[in-house]
Amino acid sequence: MEAQRSETEVRLEVNRCIRTISTSRDAVEVVASLRTLAGYLPDGPHARASASEREEFDRAHYTMVLKVLVGGLHADWRQRLTSAEHTELWGAFFLQGPPDQALLVIMDCIGTIGQSSGQDKMVDILELYLQNGRVGALLWSRCQGPGSPDSPQLRETLLGRMVSLPDLMANRLYPHNRPLFLSAQYYSLLAQEFKFALDKTCKALKDGQDCSLRFVAQLLGKTCVQGHSEHLFKDLVPHLSASTRSDMVWQRVCWRLMEDIPDRWMESVVTGLVQVVTGPAALARILGNLVVKNKKSQFVLTHKLLLLQYKYETCVLRTLLGYLAQDRERRPLLIQVLRALCQAWSSSSSVRHTPVEQQLYLSRALLLCVSLLSEAELQELRAELMQCMLGGMQCHLDSNVVRIRRIGMVVGECLSSRLNTQEARLKFEYEQDEETKELVSMMDPFPPEDAVLTDSDDELTPYDMSDDREMTKSAPPRYIRDCLEGLIFSEDPTRVELSLQAAEGLVRKNPSAAREVSVELTKVLLHLEDKYSTPSFLALRQAAMVALAVVDSIPVAEYLTTEFYSVNYSLRQRMDILEVLALSAQELSKPIAEQGRPSLPPSAAVTLVDPQSVPSNWRQVVEQRIQIGLRCFGAPAPVTATPNRYASVAGFFFFPLLQSYDRPQVTFDLLGSDHLVLGRLVHTLGLLMHLAVNAPVATQMGRSLLDFVWAIRYHTDQVVRQGVLFSVCAVFLSMPGQCLLAELSDHLLETRAWLADVAEGDADADCRTLAMQALVLLDKSLRTQLEPSALDLKS
Amino acid sequence: MARPPPTPLFVLRGSGAPINTLHFSCQEPSSALLFSGSGKGAIHVWNLHTRRAERVLEGHGGSSIVWVNTIGSKETLISQARDKRLCTWNLSEGRSDVTQSIFTGSVGFCQGSVMEMHPQRWLLAYPAEDMEELVELPSGVPVCSLKPDAKLGMLMCVKLWQPDGGCGPMLLAGYEDGSLALWDVAQRQILSRLTTHPEPLLCLDFDPVGLRGVSGSAERAVSSWVLDGQQNLQLRDTVELVNPGISQLRLRMDRRILASAGWDHRIRLFSWKKLKPLAVLQYHTDTALCVTFSDHKDSRLGLMAAGSKDQRISIWSVYNDS
Repeated sequence: MEAQRSETEVRLEVNRCIRTISTSRDAVEVVASLRTLAGYLPDGPHARASASEREEFDRAHYTMVLKVLVGGLHADWRQRLTSAEHTELWGAFFLQGPPDQALLVIMDCIGTIGQSSGQDKMVDILELYLQNGRVGALLWSRCQGPGSPDSPQLRETLLGRMVSLPDLMANRLYPHNRPLFLSAQYYSLLAQEFKFALDKTCKALKDGQDCSLRFVAQLLGKTCVQGHSEHLFKDLVPHLSASTRSDMVWQRVCWRLMEDIPDRWMESVVTGLVQVVTGPAALARILGNLVVKNKKSQFVLTHKLLLLQYKYETCVLRTLLGYLAQDRERRPLLIQVLRALCQAWSSSSSVRHTPVEQQLYLSRALLLCVSLLSEAELQELRAELMQCMLGGMQCHLDSNVVRIRRIGMVVGECLSSRLNTQEARLKFEYEQDEETKELVSMMDPFPPEDAVLTDSDDELTPYDMSDDREMTKSAPPRYIRDCLEGLIFSEDPTRVELSLQAAEGLVRKNPSAAREVSVELTKVLLHLEDKYSTPSFLALRQAAMVALAVVDSIPVAEYLTTEFYSVNYSLRQRMDILEVLALSAQELSKPIAEQGRPSLPPSAAVTLVDPQSVPSNWRQVVEQRIQIGLRCFGAPAPVTATPNRYASVAGFFFFPLLQSYDRPQVTFDLLGSDHLVLGRLVHTLGLLMHLAVNAPVATQMGRSLLDFVWAIRYHTDQVVRQGVLFSVCAVFLSMPGQCLLAELSDHLLETRAWLADVAEGDADADCRTLAMQALVLLDKSLRTQLEPSALDLKS
Repeated sequence: MARPPPTPLFVLRGSGAPINTLHFSCQEPSSALLFSGSGKGAIHVWNLHTRRAERVLEGHGGSSIVWVNTIGSKETLISQARDKRLCTWNLSEGRSDVTQSIFTGSVGFCQGSVMEMHPQRWLLAYPAEDMEELVELPSGVPVCSLKPDAKLGMLMCVKLWQPDGGCGPMLLAGYEDGSLALWDVAQRQILSRLTTHPEPLLCLDFDPVGLRGVSGSAERAVSSWVLDGQQNLQLRDTVELVNPGISQLRLRMDRRILASAGWDHRIRLFSWKKLKPLAVLQYHTDTALCVTFSDHKDSRLGLMAAGSKDQRISIWSVYNDS
């Protein structure tokens, strides 16, 4: 009865005041009414209402009052207030009442009125609202009690406004947005408020009060799903991690918070968290056993982050897998993850169809997992791991891509050393680089602290020391025939080495003598075996063969191209042939004027033919040229043609290589299993084509090359596909435009569709880029051909 | 791509014999000198401005000069030769007089070592028949003889140095059996011994500030070692070389660069901090016998000289820019 009465009284009084404020023009009267209303606010000089009255005011009238105040933004009486009165009788209403209603009214108001002094006023109020920690008060008000009684609509609206406040403000206020509303600042403020609310919750729980974290969890989820987890967690997670270290209540609050996050937002929260948190222990303290209880988070943590995505840093993997390994309840998940990783790693289809980066990521995760296994688990899983290792290595080593092969070797070595503690371990010879070292370091469960950079003496840059070789006793051969003899008959390692070292120089110094024995010497070099482990054998041999092919192009090229398809050669030799052809064509194609000095300086020659770097080297060179070519196409100025020695012999290099690719032999099946050579062949052909730009024979070459690559454009091996696309680029660059159009006329649309398809969907990044380049080149050359008049007008 | 290795600044020719030892005297840059001792007993005094031999001193009867050094100024020269004698020379005002001649009795290749003890008083260590002798200069008063108890073989190289903290002078000596001994001169006893090489130790140099040294021998490696707080020699890392044999190792005065003269005709430079190889200087056509750094006060003018069996002295300017 008492309550009933006060309810009515409050309603009458509030209504009277509201009427006065909205209708009266008498400032004194309005101020009096405002004072009366201020009496219902919890703090301030005018507070006088009893708790039940205040509750009734908050419940039924507060929003109404705020709306009236907002409506009076431009009223006369407002101008009469002193600034102190203004704060006390106007601003205080927004900052002291129930924070949720205040926020909604403020945001609504800013959203509806246009840019004006009134809006500025409201923005000021909003700033004050944020600065005074009202958001924290709002969160805390939702934490109290067993659960929030709000209607779902109200909750959704509130969540929406709170999460997207920076966006809303930016939209309304541009270009006068305030710094506080920028996302970085707002979300770190939000993080502070989260801390505040959670702190209060912990205290309340310790005092035996019931709390609900549902609203806070929802806000957290919604913020993360909108992509602001980074700003939010940057401040919040270190605090959570520190607070949960010693305080069990805090831990329980965190776990509860995570469990309360709705499923649809779980993923973004968990992914954001994993990336920010430092170390598995901290993650375990914050997440608890969420991964066991919540299906969604389990899917994200054990499947999506590991097997479907591959963008995360290694430390994220360490945190995640370490978290799974830490607890007895989560341990089975680690085993399950390991099985899945094994399966993915050893699947030949995934090796073939996923990007290298993903395989690297997968391998990291696999090795980390294995390193976390206990001895007992290792014994139990031994057979499975062994099978994974053998199968996986087979399909990795089968790949044409050096990185993938290397990944296979490193992972194989690591797995075998973990599996066989004593007996035979695998040991491969591969070049160490950052990537392999990082992979190997995965086996060490504790990452090394970042090494303190000692004061290095790197200020002293070393000079080139490549000439520092062992001294030899005997003298190098002085004539090409001596050299040839030394290579054929000598059983003396020093003599062979000296002959090999001298060969290139001798050939270049005396071309006419070299021509007499060119084919014979080429034959000897091609069949030369590294019997004595001569240092840089491959490079020296290759340099000599290149020199021969340059000095006496036609016979040597004829010999090499014939040998390419004959029986009884190893893949290595066939690849050597292709490399020699490519390098010599490259040298021949240099403008004649530049070749005043016939021999390269020795150090340059050595770097040029370094066996490992050759393929990447010449590919880089050509890709640079394509880039340059693109630029040239962009500008109407044509490439200036300079005479070179290659144009006249290009055909001898090119056509024989296309003669019998489709005739498989017992030992050599180019279109079948020997796709390694096929990839190199296509690349080489592309290069030969590219170098033949402006040569009369370029049209025929382009036609044959297009015919050839058309058949293998959907090859499963990415290296072959790269080669195909590279060749296509080369044809588009080197073939005269009108011939290209005539040649492509039938296939034009199909070609474009194919290229667009590859550019969009190929698993290999290089393929996509190359296809892009090819498309651009094609478009450019088509446009030039189809709109000759436009070109004329321009010039 | 690393820079190509530097070439010599200039080359001094005309000694007519292998260059066994070199010594700079560049305290006054205007009259910078280089002393060289040849295999035919002549000591050449090279003027580094005119790049010609100013004087030729003959005082050892044609015996191969093993070592030359100056004490105090460029006016007083010490020379040691295989005629078993060690001479001090007065070169002031155009004189070239032998002021003192000490009979050493050593026919080995071991070079002496000299160190300033007090102003105008030097301590000289030189090899005698089967021991080291120490004398004070310029008085020539014998200080002591250091003879190892154990059989270490012939003395191969010595280095005198003064530790910080008031202790007496120390002597590092390398022996034929590849071991290295640290002598306390005042107590006449070996404080520590370390076998650094399986072959005779041919050369050493020591950094008294960092308490770290290096030694070379007939193998393909330079060994580095340290002296710990308990005066114990301890082996550190070794640097592998491409070709065997090191005639001399020298540390530059600023303790940044170490140079080695190799039997493979090459001079190699290493950073002293980590012994990182920095350069391989190829100029000589026969065994490089000695290498030394100049004592310029202005380090930017610093020079390095290398002498070889091919009778030439190459002068280099390396890592002087910073």
